[in-house]
Amino acid sequence: MSRRRGDGRRGLVAAGLVALGLIGAAIGVVAALGSSGSTDAPPAAHAATKHGRHHHRKLPPLPEAPAPAFKVGKPIYLKHVGDLSRYAPVLRVVDALAEPRASASSVAPLYTTTSDGTTNIVLVIGHPHTDAHGRVWVKVRFPSLPNGLTGWVPRNALGLMVLVRTHLVIDLEHLRLTLLRNGRPIFSAPVGVGQPQWPTPRGSFYVRDKLTEYASPFYGPIAFGTSARSEVLTDWPDGGFVGIHGTNEPQLIPGRISHGCVRLRNEDILRLARLLPVGTPITIK
Amino acid sequence: MSHELTLEGIDRSATIAEAQDRLLGSQTRGGLLRRMAALGAGGALAGGVMAALPQVARAATQNDIDILNFALTLEYPAAAFFTEAERNGALSGETAVAARVIGAHERAHVRALRHALGPKAVKRGHYDFGDATEDQQKFHDAGIWFENVAVGYLKGQAPLIDSDAILVVALGLHSVEARHAAWMRRIGGDVPAPSAFDAPITRESAISQFRARGYLAIEPKTTVKKRAPTVTG
Amino acid sequence: MSDRVTVQVVDQEAALEEALDPVAGDSRQAFLRRAVVGGGALVAGGILVGGLPRLTASAAPSAEQDVRILNFAALLEYLQAAFFTEAEVKAGLSGETREFARVAGGHERAHVNLFERTLGNKLRKKPTFDFGDATSNPQRFRATAVLLEDLAVAAYDGQAALLTKPTLRVAAQIVSVESRHAAWARALVHKPPAPRAYDPPATRPQVTRVVKSTKFVTSA
Repeated sequence: MSRRRGDGRRGLVAAGLVALGLIGAAIGVVAALGSSGSTDAPPAAHAATKHGRHHHRKLPPLPEAPAPAFKVGKPIYLKHVGDLSRYAPVLRVVDALAEPRASASSVAPLYTTTSDGTTNIVLVIGHPHTDAHGRVWVKVRFPSLPNGLTGWVPRNALGLMVLVRTHLVIDLEHLRLTLLRNGRPIFSAPVGVGQPQWPTPRGSFYVRDKLTEYASPFYGPIAFGTSARSEVLTDWPDGGFVGIHGTNEPQLIPGRISHGCVRLRNEDILRLARLLPVGTPITIK
Repeated sequence: MSHELTLEGIDRSATIAEAQDRLLGSQTRGGLLRRMAALGAGGALAGGVMAALPQVARAATQNDIDILNFALTLEYPAAAFFTEAERNGALSGETAVAARVIGAHERAHVRALRHALGPKAVKRGHYDFGDATEDQQKFHDAGIWFENVAVGYLKGQAPLIDSDAILVVALGLHSVEARHAAWMRRIGGDVPAPSAFDAPITRESAISQFRARGYLAIEPKTTVKKRAPTVTG
Repeated sequence: MSDRVTVQVVDQEAALEEALDPVAGDSRQAFLRRAVVGGGALVAGGILVGGLPRLTASAAPSAEQDVRILNFAALLEYLQAAFFTEAEVKAGLSGETREFARVAGGHERAHVNLFERTLGNKLRKKPTFDFGDATSNPQRFRATAVLLEDLAVAAYDGQAALLTKPTLRVAAQIVSVESRHAAWARALVHKPPAPRAYDPPATRPQVTRVVKSTKFVTSA
């Protein structure tokens, strides 16, 4: 394998110029030594060679360098490389396409903000793909009807990728919500879910945003918006999104009580809110 | 057993302006602060808190703390860059190996600096690397840049460090970054060592180069106050 | 994390109290003065941790010490320059290994050149070397190059902190090039170019021991 030759001659010239610059810096060393006289070698070693150089035979030992102020530890290799999630904000309005190429059909448009006024984020899934033109595409999950659609967008339509280690699991049969971090449960609580005629949809979703400090006791102190949408309440304002929030009727939990949202007792949603970052993937089963 | 440095859970409230402030703010005070003792948080710390500080945060000059924080400011995005590249899984061959190993080193650097600085450590910023963590060619370009700039600014800062013990650490980091730089260059098909002497770069140059790369981003605004939910309930 | 430095016996509470006392009496000034390192920088908080400020006068940088340290480094530069020069001729190199010998050798010769010009008659006498079969075939050449370059990095990293700042600037421009060489040489033998997250400094006795063990230096 041939290597680019690099700077070759230019490198030597550059090195020479740099060296000249260095001489200026180092002259101070020599000059200082000259003015104070040579003090490093004992008189016996001053015998000059024919090159005028001194024999440095009996030098005092060089002091030990100071110990490092702090330690740099072992390299930190990643665990969980495959099974963590990422999300990214949508930077410009763009169509999510069925395949990673510009000519593919559109699955859905993606916007930059949500109706809550928060940045619209999408879950990034799988590996990116570079097309024949060198353009990088990423596969994303977004809110959709029917639920569960994914599509491809150009990487440059999205902003920074944010890593998420948590995973929220909502068990509709056992009426239980469990939060996992790095695969291990760290929080669990009973929930109220959709009534039979307004079922909470099953599938893969993610936490879309977080609302706080609103005055609406029906929703408790904190509400999380998810990417899940009700498949029956399609005329609901702002699209009929499923949320995770508190309640002013805790006595109903656990139970099948809501229009599709996942309700927690207020003390539970407050605990959950300290542990649940936006962007967390959700499995509703 | 080492575990991954969790870059989440660190306070993510740093905005670009704050990051710039942090990058530039101490530079103008540098000459004054080099000869001043910082008594930590304005000298208002109780004895117990001081005792709990890591020894560097306790005993280093403000100048040295600034220099270590400057290094950390650029180690954060370097670590994040290699971490993201590894997670994306889009690289192959020796490039993928380099992303994994260099990332492991940069994460160790971030941890060491954060641990040494304790509460005085700058906060991590937010970084958008675009497709440089997905595209092999762009990864090479960005990786070479990260390592070269690290060598350059560590080299430039080293003579400004007050404490010899901290200087020793800076030199050890500087050498490793140079190894990384040579490795990345070789993978990219360039001569690993292009000249007999490597030049230092100033803090300003490192900052302006970093800005020009466009990696600094703002955290997405995903929490909102005082808006009633419109979910189905 | 173990304390790698020796801690002077300083009562932490008393030190803190003194450091924070706005009325700086003579005794307190004296305490703080003791914390001053060469260069006038104070130790924050007044808590001394041995090893952070320079402790002994004999370790303080000086032009004279610079010359001694540079002469120590010069041995390695002479060694490397001669090694590469000979290998380029004798070792039957080809391909990237040959380019490595040529490029890195050019750099080492430039380093020697710099030392000769800046130290003048303060520079040590040029040593003589016998590289034996280290320069006789590509495999031995590569393995030896890894050893010498890694050694140079550790040596510079071990000594540079003792230099005066102008000389440190010079040494810093050299050591990263040695690191690049080391990474390159390691890549040529399929070893990790950067084996650790941090390059530890070597002490002078450690470096000398390794140099002696090669038996390359026939007269210094």
